[in-house]
Amino acid sequence: MKKELIELRVNGRSREVAIEPAKLLLDTLREDLQLTGSKRGCDDSSCGACTVLVDGTPMLSCTMIAASISVDDEGHAPEITTIEGVAEHGAMAAIQKAYGDWGGAQCGYCTPGFIMTVKALLERNPEPSDEDIRHALSGNLCRCTGYTQMYQAIKAAIRAEQQGIAAARR
Amino acid sequence: MSLPPFKLLRPRSIEDAAGYLSAHAPDIQIIAGGTDLLPSMKQRLFTPKYLLDIRGIDELRTIRSIPGHGTEIGALVTLSTIEDSEFIRRSYRVLREAVATVASPILRNMGTIGGNICLDTRCLWYNQSLTWRKSCGFCIKKDGDLCHVAPGGKKCWAAFSADSPAALLCLEAELEIAGPAGKRRLPLSEFYTNIGDARMKLANNEMLTRVFLPERMAGYDGVYQKLRLRGSIDYPLAGVAAALKKNAQGIIEDARVAITGVNPAPLLVNEARHALAGKMLNDHAAAVVGELAAKVAKPLTTSLLTPEYRREMIRVFAKRAVLGAGTGV
Repeated sequence: MKKELIELRVNGRSREVAIEPAKLLLDTLREDLQLTGSKRGCDDSSCGACTVLVDGTPMLSCTMIAASISVDDEGHAPEITTIEGVAEHGAMAAIQKAYGDWGGAQCGYCTPGFIMTVKALLERNPEPSDEDIRHALSGNLCRCTGYTQMYQAIKAAIRAEQQGIAAARR
Repeated sequence: MSLPPFKLLRPRSIEDAAGYLSAHAPDIQIIAGGTDLLPSMKQRLFTPKYLLDIRGIDELRTIRSIPGHGTEIGALVTLSTIEDSEFIRRSYRVLREAVATVASPILRNMGTIGGNICLDTRCLWYNQSLTWRKSCGFCIKKDGDLCHVAPGGKKCWAAFSADSPAALLCLEAELEIAGPAGKRRLPLSEFYTNIGDARMKLANNEMLTRVFLPERMAGYDGVYQKLRLRGSIDYPLAGVAAALKKNAQGIIEDARVAITGVNPAPLLVNEARHALAGKMLNDHAAAVVGELAAKVAKPLTTSLLTPEYRREMIRVFAKRAVLGAGTGV
């Protein structure tokens, strides 16, 4: 099928790409925008390795058509955030740093998807209970099964954020 | 895997969508959340020439209460939105309970109530890649005339595998369907055919636009019980919804029980209503409903769990659901 020019809003920027109408968002991010952080895991929408945020909500980029969320006739398009858009002003976000400090990533393949889900969770609920964290992460799978370190990393990131807020108020 | 080629159409109104459907049927398919259709397209179960992406029809995104009538839910309302709605939890609890078990939290952010109602039926021999299906011999539901589940049979037994319709049947929901001649209303109980390869009464130039929950069904307590392989994701291999209302003396005034995941359609357990009305809720009354539900269930080997186990779990879950709905657990 002939390629078409579409415009996507990714990580705060407008990006034009010429792609086939049937191209998945995941492939467009990885192949056309060189944003290879989002991973193809199961490819049948059950693992969460390809999770990105669409207007702040976690969604699976392997189960979305890129053109579906491109800029429409009225100039509207949702904002897509990938793992590459999580760092703040060139510095790692608290959750990224905590994942490193606490061994939240083992082989690392599922990590971008997990971090996107965690980011959305903390934006919605800055003080999640253990139950809230487990529930929110239940759609992301880690085949190294390193969940405990992830929970520790998430709690450390929450503490770091709170200390940061407290320090800023002082 | 990539998707087969198609042309994407993005209507902004129901009228535009209906126009596209009339112009391109049967070579057109509707997509909203995409969580059911896209994995199937990767497996080449569907290769439509046109995809009608209805996500841009903003008027179908709202939950609206109409005093004196009930509540209207647009087909594009996501399952997460229903799960998080305090109003739905308070007024139509069984729906909230069922929706909260669909797939995973991320898939519920994407999947819509309209898509869940129209979910394709599923079978071990159908939801497989083209290579897999070709090697085993194509079945009645797609490309062939064999049935691996009931050899020699002509009927498709693929199981209806959505959770929310069981709850919606308990709530006596109605559907609004838009087509070339305008809109029509249909009780959900008349929407399904119980035929695996022609599951619903929706013409290829029609689309589901809204779901109505009648006000008379508001305030029922409700429970949904679900059997699945993995606790955090997966389709139901047996599902039971129960909604009931008790008076101040603890006597059941009215009750509904519906099952899903075992037959080619979600089905009300009609006799459960009469078995419970006017009775005190106890183990015996709940066990009777369990037996009635198991009689309605006709599972076949469409999944990795045995039909006997799924039918037995319908009995167990129906009992638990009725007891749960009666005690507010």
